Amino acid sequence: MAVEQDKYILKVEGLHVNYGNVVAVNNVGFDVLQGEIFGLLGPNGAGKTSTLSAIEGLIKFKEGTIIVNGQSVSEKPLHARASMGVQLQSTSFQPELNVVQILQLFSGIYGVPMSKDKIKDTLKDIGLEDASAKKFSQLSGGQQQRVSLVIATIHNPRLVLLDEPTTGLDPQARRQLWGRIEAIRERGHAVLLTTHSMEEAESVCDRIAIIDHGRVIAVDTPQALIDKHRDDPEVIAVSRRGKITLEDVFIGLTGSAVRA
Amino acid sequence: MEETIIPKTSTVFATLFRADMATLISNRRSAIISLFVPLIVLFTWKGLIKHVGGPTVLATAIAIGLIAIGLMGYTLSVARDRDKGIFQRLRVAPVPTWVIMTSRICVQLVMIAVLTLVVFIVGYQYDGVLLAPLGYVITFFIAILGATVYLSLGQLIVGLIKGFETINAVTRITYIALMMVGMFSTFFENQQLKEVVRFSPYGCVKMMLAASMEPSKAWAHDANIAVLCSLGYIVVFAGIGIKNFQWSSK
Repeated sequence: MAVEQDKYILKVEGLHVNYGNVVAVNNVGFDVLQGEIFGLLGPNGAGKTSTLSAIEGLIKFKEGTIIVNGQSVSEKPLHARASMGVQLQSTSFQPELNVVQILQLFSGIYGVPMSKDKIKDTLKDIGLEDASAKKFSQLSGGQQQRVSLVIATIHNPRLVLLDEPTTGLDPQARRQLWGRIEAIRERGHAVLLTTHSMEEAESVCDRIAIIDHGRVIAVDTPQALIDKHRDDPEVIAVSRRGKITLEDVFIGLTGSAVRA
Repeated sequence: MEETIIPKTSTVFATLFRADMATLISNRRSAIISLFVPLIVLFTWKGLIKHVGGPTVLATAIAIGLIAIGLMGYTLSVARDRDKGIFQRLRVAPVPTWVIMTSRICVQLVMIAVLTLVVFIVGYQYDGVLLAPLGYVITFFIAILGATVYLSLGQLIVGLIKGFETINAVTRITYIALMMVGMFSTFFENQQLKEVVRFSPYGCVKMMLAASMEPSKAWAHDANIAVLCSLGYIVVFAGIGIKNFQWSSK
């Protein structure tokens, strides 16, 4: 199914994902525009990763349509996957392979073979020129995230999906990663990321969707969401510093109860 | 809209195969250990050659080696990579899933080719067992068929069981059971038990291997039945294993 591409790189409509009798995603819909960083926020178990997994083609969805770069995920899965780069929540590569072998593997899989010089330049660009012979498991968390992001973007995809990309990173590594995510946007490509960090959502996302109990309950820019909900009693009740933040809006909309 | 590049399946397969071979070479210690038991059979059964014949000793060595590689090697590598999320990372790329598994299977088949060659060479050098050229060629192909029986048994295990630790335990128990049957079934006295072993996955593979080493002399009706049984085992084990296989252990 070819679709007009002027407006969006990703379009999700009426998405339903079930695990047996459990409804994980219920009629979710949103779109991600060209040159946009779109954040998917929600408490644990809200349906973020299930939504992302459906887009990635890792799980079959019950109903709905997902279009990536004009290609239907269910009708042309390989075309859709070729248009996206993915960084999974717990990225794992063969522990026996070193960084260069991992780059060679994924550049080959995506059909963009890399010469030795190109690999060297890529590793230099992410500050890992001295780690080329190291196994992935021997890298620090920040280094692993940089390698994962390079692999997610190795084929210059129109859409990059990042599942909690900065979890476990120190502030320096997190800032550096934000810079790299923004560089993807500057190239005119789209980024869809999930995060639990409101700071991250406010800092890098152009628009966000808040998802809870499998449903999208709000979509807008971070500032617009704050402006729209600043007078909600639930939001004021959870405000801690006298100033309404995105986190206050998030908790006001999704409730204060801790999720499993 | 930019044109989407879908890499050629042959290119993807070659890339995956290279990576899987690199993984195997990195794990060469476990690959060498899997050659160990067949070599022990060759060294310790030298005295039995005059009673059971050289081809039977070579067939036993290869059949036991096939279990180690086909069952243990394949099953544990698939279970580990599924547990670590390595398959999920590959599945989000434009790679048909059958290519991922075919690459894994081909790596095991390379190991089986190495095992067969090692057994032929050591069998000749140490035990003085020399086959006709046709015997070597047919045995080589039968070893691949036999390996497929164990690969499909491995697929059955990873298809029915999700947890890595459980798979590890079940695979090792199955390996030990098959190996013990292989080593000692010659000495069973109960005829019914002997018949069960003869047409079990292990027995069929051993029977085919022994017959293939002397095709003009030893290939008879029983060997044909063993081929049919093996094909049946492959269809049933692989069919159930593939149907129930899940790419993530979560």
